[in-house]
Amino acid sequence: MSMITARSSNRFAWFGTERWSVTPGPFKVGAVILLVHVLFAIGGAFWTPHGFAEMGTGLPLSGASWQHPMGLDQIGRDVFSRFMYGAHIVLMLSFAGTILGMVAGTTLGLLSGYIGGWFDEITQRIVEAMISIPFLALALVTIIAAGPALAGEPVLIVFVVGLVYAPRITRIARAAAMEIATREYVAVAELRGEGIWSIVFREILPNAANVLLVEFSLRLSYAPILIGALGFLGFGIRPPTPEWGLMISENRNLLIASPVTVFGPGLGLASLVIGFNLFTDGLSRMLGQRPVPGA
Amino acid sequence: MSIPRLLASRVLFSALTLFLVSILIFLILEALPGDVATRILGRDATAKALAVLRGQLHLDQPALVRYLHWLGDFLRGDLGVSIATGRSIADVLGPRIVNTLLLSLFAFTIYLVLALVPAIIQAVNRGKAVDNVISVITLLLLSLPDFLLATILLFLFAVAVPILPALATISEASTWQEMLRAMVLPAVTLAIMMAVYAIRVLRDSLIEVLRSDYVRLAELKGLRPRAVLFRHALPNAIVPALNVTALNLGFLIGGVVIVERVFSYPGFGTLLIDALQLRDIPLIKATVMISAAVYVGANLVADILAVLLQPRLRTSR
Amino acid sequence: MQKLIEVRNLNIAYGGAAGWTNVVQGVSFEIARGEAFGLVGESGCGKSTVAYRMLGYGTINSFVQTGEVLFDGTDLLKLDATSLTRLRGNRIALVPQNPTTSLSPGMRVGSQVREMIATHKALPDGMTMGQRIVELFALVGLPDVSHRYPHELSGGQQQRVTIAMAVACNPDLLVLDEPTTGLDATTQRQIIQLLSDLRTRIGMAMLYVTHDLALLAQIADRVGVMYAGQLVEVASGDTLLSAPAHPYSRGLIASIPTMDGAKRQARGLRGVLRRDQMSTGCKFEPRCDFATTACRTTPQVLEPIAGARSVACIRWQEVAAPQPLTLVARTDGEVSAKPERLLSVADLTLSYRKPSLVDKLLGRTNPSVVRDIDLELCAGEVVALVGESGSGKSTIARAISGRLPPRAGLISLEGGLLPPTVKDRSVEQLRQIQYIFQNPDASLNPRRRIRSILTRPLNHFGLEAGENTLEAVLENVGLHAGYLDRFPEQLSGGERQRIAIARALLVNPKLLICDEILSALDVSVQARIVELLRSLKEKHAVAMLFISHDLAVVQQLADRVAVLYRGELMQMSDTASLLSAPLHPYTEILLEAAPGLKKDGYVSRLPAMPASKAAPGVGCPLAGRCPRQVGSLCADVRPPLHATGGGFIRCHIPADELASRTVSPEHKRSAGTDGIRVLNS
Repeated sequence: MSMITARSSNRFAWFGTERWSVTPGPFKVGAVILLVHVLFAIGGAFWTPHGFAEMGTGLPLSGASWQHPMGLDQIGRDVFSRFMYGAHIVLMLSFAGTILGMVAGTTLGLLSGYIGGWFDEITQRIVEAMISIPFLALALVTIIAAGPALAGEPVLIVFVVGLVYAPRITRIARAAAMEIATREYVAVAELRGEGIWSIVFREILPNAANVLLVEFSLRLSYAPILIGALGFLGFGIRPPTPEWGLMISENRNLLIASPVTVFGPGLGLASLVIGFNLFTDGLSRMLGQRPVPGA
Repeated sequence: MSIPRLLASRVLFSALTLFLVSILIFLILEALPGDVATRILGRDATAKALAVLRGQLHLDQPALVRYLHWLGDFLRGDLGVSIATGRSIADVLGPRIVNTLLLSLFAFTIYLVLALVPAIIQAVNRGKAVDNVISVITLLLLSLPDFLLATILLFLFAVAVPILPALATISEASTWQEMLRAMVLPAVTLAIMMAVYAIRVLRDSLIEVLRSDYVRLAELKGLRPRAVLFRHALPNAIVPALNVTALNLGFLIGGVVIVERVFSYPGFGTLLIDALQLRDIPLIKATVMISAAVYVGANLVADILAVLLQPRLRTSR
Repeated sequence: MQKLIEVRNLNIAYGGAAGWTNVVQGVSFEIARGEAFGLVGESGCGKSTVAYRMLGYGTINSFVQTGEVLFDGTDLLKLDATSLTRLRGNRIALVPQNPTTSLSPGMRVGSQVREMIATHKALPDGMTMGQRIVELFALVGLPDVSHRYPHELSGGQQQRVTIAMAVACNPDLLVLDEPTTGLDATTQRQIIQLLSDLRTRIGMAMLYVTHDLALLAQIADRVGVMYAGQLVEVASGDTLLSAPAHPYSRGLIASIPTMDGAKRQARGLRGVLRRDQMSTGCKFEPRCDFATTACRTTPQVLEPIAGARSVACIRWQEVAAPQPLTLVARTDGEVSAKPERLLSVADLTLSYRKPSLVDKLLGRTNPSVVRDIDLELCAGEVVALVGESGSGKSTIARAISGRLPPRAGLISLEGGLLPPTVKDRSVEQLRQIQYIFQNPDASLNPRRRIRSILTRPLNHFGLEAGENTLEAVLENVGLHAGYLDRFPEQLSGGERQRIAIARALLVNPKLLICDEILSALDVSVQARIVELLRSLKEKHAVAMLFISHDLAVVQQLADRVAVLYRGELMQMSDTASLLSAPLHPYTEILLEAAPGLKKDGYVSRLPAMPASKAAPGVGCPLAGRCPRQVGSLCADVRPPLHATGGGFIRCHIPADELASRTVSPEHKRSAGTDGIRVLNS
């Protein structure tokens, strides 16, 4: 696989200036956007101009102003403060859910792809069935099934994101493992009498790392959308915690009177996803370069 | 493998998948530990209400029996009765499915154009400005959550420049023109959301195919560029895009939930949300099963098309 | 001599992340009408880049700096796209390197040929398209395969299709880009035969690009040798082979293993082509045995010397002069193998799948791919397992290594029975058999440094090791400690294979299984790995099971040879007698297919193709292809074993009768003419 050989020898010099200058543009732009988001989220977690649940901070529907850059919602809460506070929630839920899905999916997929046989057959049928349920439906049904006690809890959202992602990541990891398992260095390890775990984690995982890294980044890009959609439909984080999808849903009534209350958080959400997407794009280009056709 | 045998094995696999889906849905909704009735009605429900609900759901019977009953009824076409409305689920679902089918068909038509044209333009002009501009646009659109894109389109074309209705409420009394006008915004939203994925995949696979040995040989045979593109490159490049299209149909079903909700379109998606909000378990099971069946069916069709497009696959599996 | 195409001072650069690299420098040559010109060189020397420019084609990132390619007086490099389209296929046609990837997978091959004719309106008068296509297929020795998809044809048949397509418009020039590289020796031979046949019939000129000088000698009138983007020598094929003037040509020729049963005096090439280590003078200087200080600074240009040849070397006279090609018979040291038995394989039968439950119920048995193999290896002995691809060589190796449990038969090591699977073998047993794989790119984990690749087996087998152990083993395989901290991707193919060998040696095995370990390497690198293996054999007294399809390599290395055909051992013999008196008809076929260095006329010999697939396990697998077939006996009755001097043969004809070599011409004809059969889909 060409992705593996494309790296240069200074693979650990991640932050060298030389490296930065040859990094693809999208990756740089994406990284900067994400950095801004992370800083904003950290700031928002500790300080906001107004309380995120504080009502009556100004005249509702008064539009954008210096005091209220994103206007005020129906009950007079400052949308920008809510937006700022929500940033770390969106980021943390996205990361936690994606990591959960990644760990479960990678482990299952690599094992399934390497071991093959009945184990693979059964895993794949279940994965197939899970993927066949449209992901939003699967997420919503799981939330309903969890019952009123868990509804709106962050842990449920994280679990749901993981649940939706795991089968999809399993597939990717399995395909990678199956391809790598045919490599002769895996046969060399087998002939040495190495165990399954040793082969999966020593020989296969490092070589699937590029594929999985891109997959992780890709899934991460979509996590804020998924979480936002749950919030938008009213099945996400419990109000008044300001998750951005929920805010867009709440303020949609004000679309005519004060569009900034919808498009402010919308811009935030979109820019976060753009950042992730650019990052993913650049990452896959860096890791998956095609070899220049030679003479 | 001969085509009929291939077809039979694919159909069988699809059936198996749907069977597993039914088990999964049942497990998630009814077989999790804890009392189903309490989970539906909440902790402060009265004992009487709980008892009524238990009776409706036959919760006194063991889970396996309930599952087999449900599956048997489902296979016979009896979808059960909605708890919330007391109406037959088949009657509730029928018109909603028709509405969503119309919307999807409309969206799918727009999608085909939106996916093919930019991807071909990009692949042919790879590395040039057009390619980059389209790439940036698709990346931006890809980053827009569907509910946000729907809201933006609604704001632009129904609020700022009110040329289209904001609410796509249609009824049996609506005329064709009214229905079409009502469906434009939701359909365009869905089409864009699907197309952005397909454009990227199709572009990449087309570029890969354009780099392939057989395209080079076709060029060096002295074929005209148009012949090379449409006869040698596109048929082979379209296969990965087909898979994305099948995945997209899965997305379409999810997207329908959101888009119908934004535009208040009386379709399958709004019904699912209503069912979920009312915790109407029989209705939820039926809608989810149907959406999974649509997805599995779409994949089946894509698989078969891929085999028809790539004769190689006929023997190698 | 009428010039058809002339290349003048062609310079081409490739753009990459690190800027421009010159891949072709100052290349000039010409091809006359009807002439076959060959371009030869190691991979990466720029020969294909030049060849594709003959069609006015270059990849997006390549850039022609200077030069002209004059075809009938017009410069192809300045021609606009439309005019090029009119020329390509019509007057200049290409036969691509890899037919499997070069035919459109979704289109029937007939349509692909039709498209060529239709585009150039090249349908001869009074012929229908269908007739013409059938005629073209017949011309390349194919039945009417119009309705087949490419994947339904074998590699050789696919290449015939691309050739049929290339000659469809009767072009003036045929550009052939390594057209036989992916094919096995017998098919290669047929394609070469077909090409020279077509050339005499159609009278087109050819530009034949290959890395295989032996092959080129069979077909080209003149040969240009390329090194690092420059032509270093141009000469007629015969002259080049008998008296190469450039040190590189000389090294290239010396690197080719031959069947002479002898070793040349001249040394093979050392080092590899590295574009980052170029001197300002002669590009070949770092690897040249004749280099002087003047070579390092003086650029060399191609200058005409005697006759029609030219060479780019200031010292060519010294190179060319002392070349009395003395063939020194290979003197084997006294047979060092002690009669101590190391490995023995008895009655081994293998099949790929275990019979499934359904098969058992229906009483079906899977066809076995390997049957009744008896093989013995003594300590320190090298036994070669030869046969065409698909004969089951690697399958046997897989069984011995424990990756494929045998269906029947016993494998024992030093008298102790080996369990059938890796899982059941003891650590000690695993250590004693080490396996080296064909492809060095895939046998080293690209994510680990050489140090970790080498220490892992040591740790696993619990062997003591210090820094010195690793250094010593690296030195043993001709590398140094500097390699320890590199990643596999920073090594060349040959170096990687050395690391793979080092990894195997490190745990002190008794037996090395070498599975086609040379076939992925360049010829010059091959020669040096063979050298290495021979020295290891002498130094470490390690036994080797050497699997190869290349008899030339085998004869340099092996003590004994086992010849395998369709899963059955046809002959077992010591190397010397096998080469001098092959006895078995199949061994003869194999020896004939191996290319020699002389224009030996193998081109005109009958193609050897299986006429029918004999049922496995019944009769002789060679029946139907054998030039010495004895009626229906061969197909129906399993041939007996006959003991010979150094081994045995499996044939109906006794050894002494085979040795007398009486072949009736009728037999020979009926066996070979059937030619090509279309694969059943």
